Amino acid sequence: MAGHKEGLKAARLLMVLSSVSPLFILWAIRGTEIVPDIYFLTFCALMVLAPNAFLWLRIETAKKNKDMRELVVGVAEDHREHLLVYLFAMLLPFYADTLANWRALAAALAGLGFIIFMFWHLNLHYMNILFALFGYRVFSIYPRDDGNALSGRLNYVVITPRVSLSSGERITVHRLSDTVYFEARQ
Amino acid sequence: MKLQFDLTAVTLAEFGVGKDNDDGRVYVYVPADASVQQALREMAVETWNAMSANSKDPDQYDPSEKHGGIEHLYLPLTDAMGAGMKALHEAVNLTPDTSVLADPAAVYCYFARFTDKKGNRLTAVRRATQFKGVLANHLIRWVNDALKIIEDNVFKLDNDFDLLIDGSNIHILRPSGFEFVGQMQSAILEAVPINIHVIQKDIGFVDFDAIGTYAAKHPRAARYLASICAQKEYRNIDKRNLKKLCGSTGVEFKEHQGKLVFEKAHVMGFLEVLDRRRYEIELVKDAPERYRAASRQRIRKSAGGS
Repeated sequence: MAGHKEGLKAARLLMVLSSVSPLFILWAIRGTEIVPDIYFLTFCALMVLAPNAFLWLRIETAKKNKDMRELVVGVAEDHREHLLVYLFAMLLPFYADTLANWRALAAALAGLGFIIFMFWHLNLHYMNILFALFGYRVFSIYPRDDGNALSGRLNYVVITPRVSLSSGERITVHRLSDTVYFEARQ
Repeated sequence: MKLQFDLTAVTLAEFGVGKDNDDGRVYVYVPADASVQQALREMAVETWNAMSANSKDPDQYDPSEKHGGIEHLYLPLTDAMGAGMKALHEAVNLTPDTSVLADPAAVYCYFARFTDKKGNRLTAVRRATQFKGVLANHLIRWVNDALKIIEDNVFKLDNDFDLLIDGSNIHILRPSGFEFVGQMQSAILEAVPINIHVIQKDIGFVDFDAIGTYAAKHPRAARYLASICAQKEYRNIDKRNLKKLCGSTGVEFKEHQGKLVFEKAHVMGFLEVLDRRRYEIELVKDAPERYRAASRQRIRKSAGGS
């Protein structure tokens, strides 16, 4: 994807926050002794509800505006294993942190900040456990070499209820960002 | 001629622009909301209505003809002259570019790609003249009880497109728009060696070396060559008749080792003869008249002589 500037920066950031929202659910359950529950739970609730509400809004806006396009599948790769990586790389280490003192909390938040930045910077905003919960799969679509110099060479991510995508298949998808698309259930 | 697309059953409309960059001309996808998509659909309908009103039985595009500003023509998608437009029609997964309109000067055309319920696809293209023409104007609007200048870049869609591309043909409403967007001039110049090669195979008794060199530098000669090739006017040419017509219309040549050799000054005349543009009539006895046709059209028997 070199040379391509991904648009919708704020939207992608909120989608990244949506993807890390399960961590805040775990933190809310676990709690911390250094911050009163009323503040900590409110913060966690906000971090869970606001980004996911935005994600829902983004999908609905794309549907309402018919922000749609057709993509042709070259090679499709199912990225279910990415969720495992996500789970082990992020949720478990952070959950293991006890947040027992201010320094631990600050370190956890700083670490989370780095991960959020990396997810945002690397366009990993599709990495969301909610999609899996609702029965959607995440595919990376690579272009096929059709000999046409005008055909796009970018890779796209498609979130779809389909279990497989075959080469040459044409799919109509809603745009969540310039490289992440969503196929609604029929 | 029918459009292989149902304009009343559009299921998907995508917008994009063509822009000039360091690598030449590229086409990018630009997201557009439902209201813009509706406007694009209306433009496509308007284009087809204008084409149908102009002619229901259009002629094939001929690069050597001087076409009108608005004239319904068609070009089969398989024709080499339509290669650029065919590539756009068949291109998939166009790269999205949400910042392309920040540099409007680089935009030279805009297009829409439609899909109907049966999965047929239609590409509609328009040269971006009016589209970015309003940028230089001072647009104003009524805000908070006073007129204010609109600071944002504002673009204007036209009423119709220059051309429509379906599964079989390029339907042209504005030949000049088609030639500009399809870069016809450079494509025709580039095609000179191929066209010479094709013609040479059938007319082996003409020396085409000087003709090829001349046509590579002169667009009108290159257009005649493209037309001769496209219309297959080079087939079954009789040497004696060709010499006779050249002689009677003032096109001079020499014969060298059985081949007709045309001097630089007579290359255009020779191409006009081959393209059926140079002729002699003798309506007045013993007073033959020579003419050169800027435009010509084959008379079809079924057309009742009209």
